[in-house]
Formats: sequence, C-alpha cells, structure tokens
Amino acid sequence: MSVKHGLLALLERGPMYGYQLRVAFDSATGGTWPLNIGQVYTTLSRLERDDLVAALPENEGQRPYEITAQGRDELKKWFATPVQRSDRPRDEVAIKLALAITTPGVDVARVVMTQRTATMRTLQEYTRLKTQPGDLPWLLVLDAMIFQAEAELRWLDHCEASLLRYEPRPVPAATDVEVPR
Amino acid sequence: MTVLELRDVHRVHGTGETAVNALKGTSLTVGPGELIAVMGPSGSGKSTLLNLAGGLDSPTSGQVLVDGTSLQSLSRKQLAAWRRKRIGYVFQNLNLIASLTAAENVALPLDLDGVRGSRRQAEQALSEVDLDGYADRFPDEMSGGQQQRVAIARALIGERRLVLADEPTGALDSRTGETVLRLLRAKVDAGAAAVLVTHDARHAAWADRVVFLRDGVVVDVSSRDQPEELLSTP
Repeated sequence: MSVKHGLLALLERGPMYGYQLRVAFDSATGGTWPLNIGQVYTTLSRLERDDLVAALPENEGQRPYEITAQGRDELKKWFATPVQRSDRPRDEVAIKLALAITTPGVDVARVVMTQRTATMRTLQEYTRLKTQPGDLPWLLVLDAMIFQAEAELRWLDHCEASLLRYEPRPVPAATDVEVPR
Repeated sequence: MTVLELRDVHRVHGTGETAVNALKGTSLTVGPGELIAVMGPSGSGKSTLLNLAGGLDSPTSGQVLVDGTSLQSLSRKQLAAWRRKRIGYVFQNLNLIASLTAAENVALPLDLDGVRGSRRQAEQALSEVDLDGYADRFPDEMSGGQQQRVAIARALIGERRLVLADEPTGALDSRTGETVLRLLRAKVDAGAAAVLVTHDARHAAWADRVVFLRDGVVVDVSSRDQPEELLSTP
C-alpha cells in the first residue's frame, strides 16, 4: 500500500486539509503507520500534479483538497486489486535465521528463542489492547497484527523442531568460492 | 498469597529403561489475579504439569501447594475434598454432565459437599458468565461456547479460586474461543488464578506470563509486564 491510496480513500469521505488527513490516517491505522505532515503535503502535491486531487480555495489559512473523478477511478482500481505478497517488505526474521544457521559460532536455538519471547510479548501487548474499547476498523487492524505475530510464532516453533533434526552440510568457505572476473 | 506453587517438581512415568522424565525440576507460582499460559510441543510435559497442579497426579519428587497446603500431605479422601473445594477444571471436551441442567452442573461441586443454597449460587455464577435464563437448559440445548461458559462458572463456584484449563477453546471457532478467553481473563482480573494449557499462541497471549516447556523443562518465560507500550489505542 502507498500513502497515496490511503489519502485518496480518506478524501473520498469529503474534502480535508493536510493536518486533518494526517489525523484521519493515524486513526484509521491505529497509529501503526505514523505519517509526518511533510509526507502528507508531498503526497498531496504529487496527487494534485497527477490530477487525482484538486486544491480548493483557502479557508481560514488552510487549503482543503478534494478527490477528482480520476482520483476516484484510481481508488476503485486500488480496492479491486489484491495486494501481492511480493509487494511486501522482506522478512528480516527469516533472513536473520537463515544466516544464523550458516554463520559459524551462532547459537541458532537461542536466536529462535529470543525472537519467540519478543514476538510473544508483542502478541500479549496487542491482546491487552483488545480488552479496551475500540471501533471495528481499528480492531481489525489489531487482529491483522495479532494473526501475523501468531504466524511468526508458529513458524518459529516449526524452525525449532526442524533444528533438532538438522545436520548441517559443510558450507563452502569464502576462499572456495570462485570470484567472477 | 500464592494460590498455586510448584516447587522443583519432577515426574517420572514408568521405571527402568522405559522410564520417561515428563517433568524435570519445574518451579512455578501463580498468584491471585494471574493467568499463566503453558505452551510447548506435544510430549513437553504440559498435561503432566496441569495434572500435578490439580492433584490428579503426584510428583516423583518436589512439592505442589494449593493455597499454601501441600497436596502430598493430604490423604486420598482429603485430597478429593480439597480438589472439589479449591480447584476448578475446564477441559476441551466432556466438560458437562449431559443429564444435568446448566445450574445442576454448576452446583454439583457444592451439592457433593452438602452446601445449602447451591442453586442460588449456581444461578449467580451463570449470570456472571452472561448466561441469565439458561439455568434449566441441558448441555445439548446450548452451543459449544455457552457450554464452555457453564464450565467456567462451575470451575469458579464456591470458594474455588484456581482454574486449570486444558485447551478450553480447542473445539470452538476463533470468535467463540475468544469470548471464552475474555471471560476467563475477566474472572482472573476479579481475583481468581488460572493456568491455561494451549497450543495456540493467540490464546496464550491473554495470559500475564507464558511459560514454554520443552522435554519437561521450562525453557523460556514471556511476561507482559513491560514498561514500554508498543501501541496506543487511537
């Protein structure tokens, strides 16, 4: 997802100026994706350049923006298109663990356990937030984070079980690797 | 005061070459207002721990104390009475007696001890788990989630302050399971103590502490008593 589509979705509710958009974005994502006001204005000027939003006359020193017909088409397209897994950032935990296994002297079981404790704490914290009242959009964002943390814990359990049966193959030393000229 | 304490508990099943060390020196304390989750792969000792905590099994060495009394110091008869008065169980299945109504199921531990006014206490307990008006329903007239709420009401009837739950949400769908855990959490926040054995990290996350067992040893404990907040509600 881009900030661009987030702002378009918010403007579909009605015209808003920069600060209002920042507050609405924060509320919609439960503070999980903090935006600074600079990002909001940079994105708005790009959207305006591409005719996806239009600036309205200034009102008490604030310039509200509204979504254009073209912007609405872009938003519809965004909602209709699934998010590809390849669009998401790489999983640092998986990469770290893969490297831990092949790096001499690393206690891989310890790496797994340390990560698991940290992820479980995160999951406990998210769950604690669920006991507080909140609107459905926020609760669903929270649930998404809960399910992702749960998936990571299940994967870490799987890693731990796999490590118990793991017999490492010799890793080629750096000097054995042919360097292309 | 500690409600449940396990002191360096060992449990060996069988003897000789086939002996299995189910627990190898586990210590654990659970106080009032505390929910502890126990996680670990199959065969890690989770169920053994729960059975020892509930006096359904005895340790090979070490001590199990409930409300300060060592379960090993009690005779079989005393132990049965102690369990009935102090410890409530919630299991995945076979929670309720099919031929008894919800109120009769909940009142059963009190009736066995000849406590007067058990019906009134059972109705009150059912009301606390949002089951007003269900007192005279039989288990097969209730949904799985409602039955599990009856089981929680029964687990905390009378003087009982300790709930031992073994995969209590196992047979329930995700949302209903969450309702049951919310209720267990609320009961614990009101002063009960609980140990929850589960495979499900999402369920374990309702606990104050999560204990990871592997091969009969506590390998890790995750506590939610953390100074920093990861997120704030909008």
